[in-house]
Amino acid sequence: MFAYIVRRLVQAVVVLFIVLVFTFTLPYFEPHGILAPAYVVLGTRASAANVHAWGLQHGMYHPYLVRLWDYIVQVIWHHNLGFSYKQNLSVWGIISLYVPRTVWLALTALVLTFVIAVPLGIFQANKRNTVFDYAATGSAFVLYAIPSFLLCLLVLQVFSFGVTHLPASPPSGVAPWAIFTDPVGFILPVGTLTLLSVALISRFMRGTVLEVLVQDYIRTARAKGCSNRRVLFAHAFRNALGPIVTILGLSIPGLFGGALIIESVFNYAGLGIETVNAATYLDSPTVLGITLLVSIFTLLGNLIADILLGVVNPRIRLQGEQ
Amino acid sequence: MTTEKSAEQLEVKDLEAAEVRHDLATGDRADERSLGPEGVSDRADVVIPMWRQRVRIFMHNKLAIVSVVYLVLVTLFCFLWPHLHPTNQTNQNLALTQPFNAPPSASHPLGTDSNGFDVLGRIAFGGEYSLTVGFLAGVVTIIVGTIYGMVSGFVGGIVDTILMRILDAALSIPLLFLLITLVTLFSRSATFLILLIGLTGWFGNARIVRGDALLIRRLEYSQAATAMGASKWHIIRRHVFPNSISNIVTVGTFSVADAILFLSTLGFLGLGIQPPNTDWGTMLQNGSDQIANGYWWEIYPLAVIFILVVVAINYIGDALRDAFEVRLIER
Repeated sequence: MFAYIVRRLVQAVVVLFIVLVFTFTLPYFEPHGILAPAYVVLGTRASAANVHAWGLQHGMYHPYLVRLWDYIVQVIWHHNLGFSYKQNLSVWGIISLYVPRTVWLALTALVLTFVIAVPLGIFQANKRNTVFDYAATGSAFVLYAIPSFLLCLLVLQVFSFGVTHLPASPPSGVAPWAIFTDPVGFILPVGTLTLLSVALISRFMRGTVLEVLVQDYIRTARAKGCSNRRVLFAHAFRNALGPIVTILGLSIPGLFGGALIIESVFNYAGLGIETVNAATYLDSPTVLGITLLVSIFTLLGNLIADILLGVVNPRIRLQGEQ
Repeated sequence: MTTEKSAEQLEVKDLEAAEVRHDLATGDRADERSLGPEGVSDRADVVIPMWRQRVRIFMHNKLAIVSVVYLVLVTLFCFLWPHLHPTNQTNQNLALTQPFNAPPSASHPLGTDSNGFDVLGRIAFGGEYSLTVGFLAGVVTIIVGTIYGMVSGFVGGIVDTILMRILDAALSIPLLFLLITLVTLFSRSATFLILLIGLTGWFGNARIVRGDALLIRRLEYSQAATAMGASKWHIIRRHVFPNSISNIVTVGTFSVADAILFLSTLGFLGLGIQPPNTDWGTMLQNGSDQIANGYWWEIYPLAVIFILVVVAINYIGDALRDAFEVRLIER
């Protein structure tokens, strides 16, 4: 298991390096050249001299490989992600401001998703082809087809301006712990994000449990006289956990992507909005920093999921120890 | 010894993960596989060609037929309606002479929007872009993903390792972040949107195709063909490709739905098809500004049409998967 983890970590570093080089190279494909951000920062009618000075200041005239090398040294050796072109903040400053907010949002939704989707999936598998099952599958299908921004708007229309009058946006400070001090403001954004992932994961859970339920050991358990509840939760649930854990790791990038839309509709200053802004302002150091960070989250999530897979499934664990 | 073991274990895990991803992407459900439609082949003594049996299973699925009919109708409407009933969809000063935000009436069946555009005509006008971009981006996704996955899974060795690490890197960035960054860099013409959505959407497809290629390459019939001296290209063409076509087509169908959704999300962020043209996402965004004023005709009709299009494509994908399921044919 240890050798496996080391191997995976080495792989993760390679993957991160690819992400870094790719994101670093992107601005070179900008149609107006690498100096294009200067016109965003200095204005569209900036004089050539000013643009030139800006380019000198940011080391834009160094060759590509020199700039790449400098950036890598700066990140690895000095733990410095650089300085934003557009905002008067270091990239690390921006990240430490917004990442906790998005992480709390996404994490709460993730936990809620599993609390709701896993029992729902098991229940659907148990009551297969009943009215309840069809209703749940049907709504999952529709939820999966609604663009997330449209779902947000409908939720707002119904629960903020219609039936109830819940706050349409979370409190607008940057305090990361706002989700605990003012939970009412977070009901709609967290609820919408949860709804989106529940649609996907309950459907998946249902399929997995159904696949487990036709196995021989389930028949054996029933033959032994186990109650239906015990069969479902002790036998089927444990064996269906494996794929669910993998999904948990894989759903992290999707959660960040979903949070992007949720943040812009519910007007919650987080990583998603920051990424869109940075991308539109061609603020490449910020985009680079955020991309690296999200990749690290994803890779760590996948690694943890694989380790957990060994924990819930003795077959994989023992295979690794031999 | 231990490293060898772990390498093998990794391989197995990769395959499992690929299956999980596939199930997630296709929304695979065990009961559909095991139950399936009845009366697929009623006369065992008559040999029916494979493709006809597949068509038969597909036709058996009533919801899929309804979905196909609906998609055809929407497509015909989008491409023919502007010619049958031309409305002005490009004049930005229309609101000066025409009633704007007008409720449905005889001259404007679905009313007009805040710019004075006829909403029904605009749904068709935007639909041309949404459907075209979605479909072509899906095609790009299928082609690139299939080639990448086939090469990776079939060549194997160091090439596979390198290609898979690149794929890992691509999959570790949220697709939406990647898409937004790319769209802001390049122009927002329909061609670029097709290419960008297509070129950022194939990662999952490539994984699944690679898993298939790895699996099929190890099966007896491929090995027998190799033993008989078949070239690699022959095995890809005659064994690997035909046997993974079901996954390619099924996942490809879902890619079209995803591409339409991604385009609408870009439209919502103001990065979609640019004025004077429009797409459904941009229209939904414009309509949502009016939702609080009670101008329902600017958003709800389009929302229903849009959601049903995506649902229909997903249903067709489900039905295609059933049609390709060999176990259903052989009964």
